Amino acid sequence: MQVEMNHICKSFGANNVLTDISFSIKSGEVCALLGENGAGKSTLMNILGGVLEPDAGTIELDGKAVSFSSPVDSLDAGIGFVHQELNLVNDLTVYENMFLTHLKNKGAFLDVKYMQSEVKALFDRMNLDIDPNAMVRDLDASYKQIVEICRALLQNASIIIMDEPTTSLTEKEIECVFDMMRKLKRENVGIVFISHKLNEVMEICDTYSVLRDGKVVASGNVSDTNTREIAANMVGHEVIQDEHIPAEYGDEVLRVEDLSDGKNFKNVSFSVKAGEILGITGLLGDGRSELCQTIFGAMGGNYTGKVLLCGREIHHTQTYQAVESGIAYLPRNRKENSIIKDMSILDNGSIVVLHKIRKGPFIDFAKQEELFSKQSSKMRVKMDSAEDLITRLSGGNQQKVVLAKWLMSNPKVLILDNPTQGVDIGAKEEIYDIIQQLAKQGTAIMVLSSEAQEIIRVCDRSLIMYHGQVVSQVSGEDMTERNIMYFAAGGSLAQQEAASAANGAGGSLTTPEAASAANGAGGSLTTQDDASAANGAANSEEEQKE
Amino acid sequence: MNLITKISNMIPKKKSNDGALTATVFALIVMVLIQSVVMGINAGSFGGMFGKMGMAWMNILRNNSYAGVIAMGMCLIIISGGIDLSVGSAICANGAFVMYLLDEANGPLAAMGITGTPAYIITVIASIIFGFLLGEINGCLIAYGKLPPFIATLGTMKIFRSVTQELCKQFNPVVPDGFKMITSVKIFGQVVLPIVYWVVIAIIIHIIFKKTAFGRQVIAVGSNERAAKLSGINVSGVKRRIYAITGALCSVASIIYIARIGSMDFANAGSGYEMDAIAAVIVGGTSMAGGRGSIVGAFVGMLIMGVMNNILNSVGVPTFLCDAVKGAIIIFAVMLQMVQGKKKA
Repeated sequence: MQVEMNHICKSFGANNVLTDISFSIKSGEVCALLGENGAGKSTLMNILGGVLEPDAGTIELDGKAVSFSSPVDSLDAGIGFVHQELNLVNDLTVYENMFLTHLKNKGAFLDVKYMQSEVKALFDRMNLDIDPNAMVRDLDASYKQIVEICRALLQNASIIIMDEPTTSLTEKEIECVFDMMRKLKRENVGIVFISHKLNEVMEICDTYSVLRDGKVVASGNVSDTNTREIAANMVGHEVIQDEHIPAEYGDEVLRVEDLSDGKNFKNVSFSVKAGEILGITGLLGDGRSELCQTIFGAMGGNYTGKVLLCGREIHHTQTYQAVESGIAYLPRNRKENSIIKDMSILDNGSIVVLHKIRKGPFIDFAKQEELFSKQSSKMRVKMDSAEDLITRLSGGNQQKVVLAKWLMSNPKVLILDNPTQGVDIGAKEEIYDIIQQLAKQGTAIMVLSSEAQEIIRVCDRSLIMYHGQVVSQVSGEDMTERNIMYFAAGGSLAQQEAASAANGAGGSLTTPEAASAANGAGGSLTTQDDASAANGAANSEEEQKE
Repeated sequence: MNLITKISNMIPKKKSNDGALTATVFALIVMVLIQSVVMGINAGSFGGMFGKMGMAWMNILRNNSYAGVIAMGMCLIIISGGIDLSVGSAICANGAFVMYLLDEANGPLAAMGITGTPAYIITVIASIIFGFLLGEINGCLIAYGKLPPFIATLGTMKIFRSVTQELCKQFNPVVPDGFKMITSVKIFGQVVLPIVYWVVIAIIIHIIFKKTAFGRQVIAVGSNERAAKLSGINVSGVKRRIYAITGALCSVASIIYIARIGSMDFANAGSGYEMDAIAAVIVGGTSMAGGRGSIVGAFVGMLIMGVMNNILNSVGVPTFLCDAVKGAIIIFAVMLQMVQGKKKA
């Protein structure tokens, strides 16, 4: 099947999201759809998936013009859409979820046998080891993604749109999804792959299209380009990454001794000095988020061991106590944990200190505005008006507002949990800059991340956790992706030499040097290097302005 | 849905997040127009219409002042993502407490030799504290006991009323006439004090909601409790305070009730007020999901329900059918707001 989208235009109010976009995909092809947040990728795919209707332009399937007015139309025509937020019902089984939209009846009752056997047959064909009767809530994130893909397949989709399927997955799980994609390709299914991660694109995709400001600015075969060129197309200029230079350290600010909560982490000890950026990394289930939430008082204060802030022991059972004492925690999963969707940008950005900005019993609105605009202009938050709802901002700008709210509390310790999750390349580099600026000003910073590249980019040294324990610490020249991924997967120093290349979860390793890329993302060495070089930067943008 | 969209398109739209409130005010205006037509027909002349309208409005405001006072607190609770079913029973419990204190035959104040105005002042203050504490019970169950608000207040709803009824089995107090002055003093020849109390409370709650950090925290807790907690907001404290405020408002409502009616039937007093308050809040454009809402809206919502009642009585709709019409109004109002909320600014 060949899908052609011709001269598609779409606007929301006065805002032109797509102007004259042409895009095509055929069976058996994996096409990357790239662009920064707000470039129009999701809008374009929502049009193809029948969620939105275009203002102008046509969609042709094998040369025949079609129009989709609902997702059902689009699915009937063979186009499946796997949304970024998974649309699975946790409390139903795998097979029930897969048949949810077209449950099969036998008389008055569900034909359970038929549905189970269909699902089983599909899983067998795809060589997947998933029990159709398992509850969806018991599945790993990657398997949920796969179930959702299979659901589209079950409905005979020959083109599948995957909207950022890998953002919330660990490296191993990503490889699992990639395996699935390769199988689909062999089954002659076409895939539109939306992602921010350029090295993934280099690994899995055949062709690419880059959108910027609602226009296609580049397209072609992935083999004819490199990540540097794609990144430049995405942001509109060459992307340069700063060298990381540690700031000067002051006194020790946070010290954790032998901390255990009996469930998620045990016997963790570390300390952070003023001006230091400490990384904590590991795979899913390493307990780093729970560890930091415990320090922040979000886990109710049930732990053994000691937490000392500036030499004084603290034991927080509530988050407001931690904020009061000077600890700030920017949580992962912005949408669930940070954003208050019914409040304005201004209120979201000042909620942490709001009770302190007062004139008598009332909020001092002038001061609130002043304090926030100082932070937001420092971080270059792009917004029309601070009175708009926060949900009108792009992911990167939302994250900057969340960061701003914490900076307004002038924390001694700033804990950032996946600070660049769902943030586009340009904003990512800006956030790294802000982190380094803060360190220079003497804030003790902890960066929690599952991306080794991010840890290397921004941290002075890093702890690596495995199943709740700190297994290693790397700094300086030892801080390489290879070392980090090795320890994160549970390796120990003694075995390291023997098993040096064995920790790759996938990817083809042809040269010894390529072993350094064996972190599950795979790919060839050259593109990997390019990827890290191009992993976001808006610095040249500043230079241009100046 | 088509008809609703059309009606929605007739409503002028200002800012994106004011859509629901605009719709509510629009609905009230439509109601008043219908009411004036009905009154005009009944009275037969313009002058007669205005006279009747005035009378009708005094009645509407007075009769809804008890539930109206509670609706102000209920609105905060619903914006915070909760619900309070116990308000009607709390009025009953508070009422019993007020009458016990006022009892000139066997009451504790009379026993201490305190009667007249000092006794009334002590009664009012003590009763508000008592109501506050009843609210604290709800608040603590929800904030620290981690019970869902529906369950916690369903429980206290039963407890408050049944304990009151048991304790007041043999209780037959007389409310002193002096106490009735709280509501019965006439201004411009009209009994307006209950209305004044209601409006003052509405203004206070509105200012608390709009102008204080606490108001923003209520929105944050209702919109995304987890994010609120991770932003260093004392979520338990905020919840406790909201239910306590509502408890105190229940006490105010019971004082107005007793001062006006002069007695209380503990089996039925206040029952159904929780649903009236919730209906007013919802008609006023507050989202049951929490995070979005308006105190002004809840006030207007209460008026809409009152005017509706008045119109239904005037045109002679059978009493039993009045509730059916009110139910339909709630459904219609919320559908209108949904459409209005989706419209782009």
